[in-house]
Amino acid sequence: MSDMTTLKPNQLDALREVANIGAGHAATALSQMTGNTIMITVPKINVTRLEDVPAQLDSEDEPIAAVLMHMMGDLTGRTLLIFPQPTAVRMAELMLRRPIGSSRDLGVIEQSAIKEAGNILAGAYMNALSEFMGLMLLPSPPSLHIDMSAAILTTTHLQFGSDKDQVVSVETEFMLKDAGEHLRGFFLLLPDAASLQAILRAVRLA
Amino acid sequence: MSEIRVKVADFAVAGTGAVIATIGLGSCVAIALYDPLARVGGLAHILLPSVGMSQDRENRAKFAGTAVPLLIEQMRAIGGRVERMRAKIAGGASMFTALLPTSGIQMGERNILATRDALTRAQVPLISEDVGGDHGRSVYFDVTTGNVLVKSLRRGDVTI
Repeated sequence: MSDMTTLKPNQLDALREVANIGAGHAATALSQMTGNTIMITVPKINVTRLEDVPAQLDSEDEPIAAVLMHMMGDLTGRTLLIFPQPTAVRMAELMLRRPIGSSRDLGVIEQSAIKEAGNILAGAYMNALSEFMGLMLLPSPPSLHIDMSAAILTTTHLQFGSDKDQVVSVETEFMLKDAGEHLRGFFLLLPDAASLQAILRAVRLA
Repeated sequence: MSEIRVKVADFAVAGTGAVIATIGLGSCVAIALYDPLARVGGLAHILLPSVGMSQDRENRAKFAGTAVPLLIEQMRAIGGRVERMRAKIAGGASMFTALLPTSGIQMGERNILATRDALTRAQVPLISEDVGGDHGRSVYFDVTTGNVLVKSLRRGDVTI
């Protein structure tokens, strides 16, 4: 576990670079899906105690839509795509080619569209990673949950994380300019501890 | 009325006039202990069933097994008596259930079981609970009345 907290600057840089490649491909996919320009931020690497998992959103009880997928193969972990609920509704409209404001809520079809967005994004991200690092990565089917942001984030780590003390997340923020409005979402790569080392080995920085 | 916010793996105790709140419980459990005569209450937001699952041995509020004795001690210090204490608990949900392994009990369930067990060992009766399911909860414990308001996005509000 000590290796997680003692990542060296060049290792952090390498992880950011790996994440950037993944997120770049994911953004291209999202852009094609929605017909909009997508901007991404430089990935942030958070190494924290489980109880201090950083909130991506302003409020702990803000409703979010989150798509979780397992990452399997040479690396194990999870990917989590997060949208504030109103953004999720708008994303579903974009994907379903519906006019702005035509959907009020996340019904079955909207939920399915959001899951598909998660699927495509995580797929593009993992594909890019596996090509870059020469590793085999396989995504599981997506699972969607709509709930309070803090509940979803903590529970994701608690239920699925291999480590119950330290957690690592590689976070990229997506921004989409739509009808003058800035929509934002987050893509989190949550590698298991051993996989973090495997990534560093793959880029020869272990 | 003053609201005290309890973060994940944290706790607070207070007397009458206070509301102790914790926001966004998923598979975590909120444990509320109350001495109705002294009107002293305590609330812990536990993350894990027992210290055995963690390297962190320092923070007693993080685990069901250690949070219950911690709350009792701290409530005693401000006038609570253990023989009068009653417990209410909320949380212990499971999320993304489609991705969970089908065998074995889930973390939320383990937290609930460990909490009930810790209360039994401390001989504090559990009088009410809102646990399990697949939805997040926020908890507002009114120390003046002993009422615990449990809010959720999809199941509405209940008072336990």
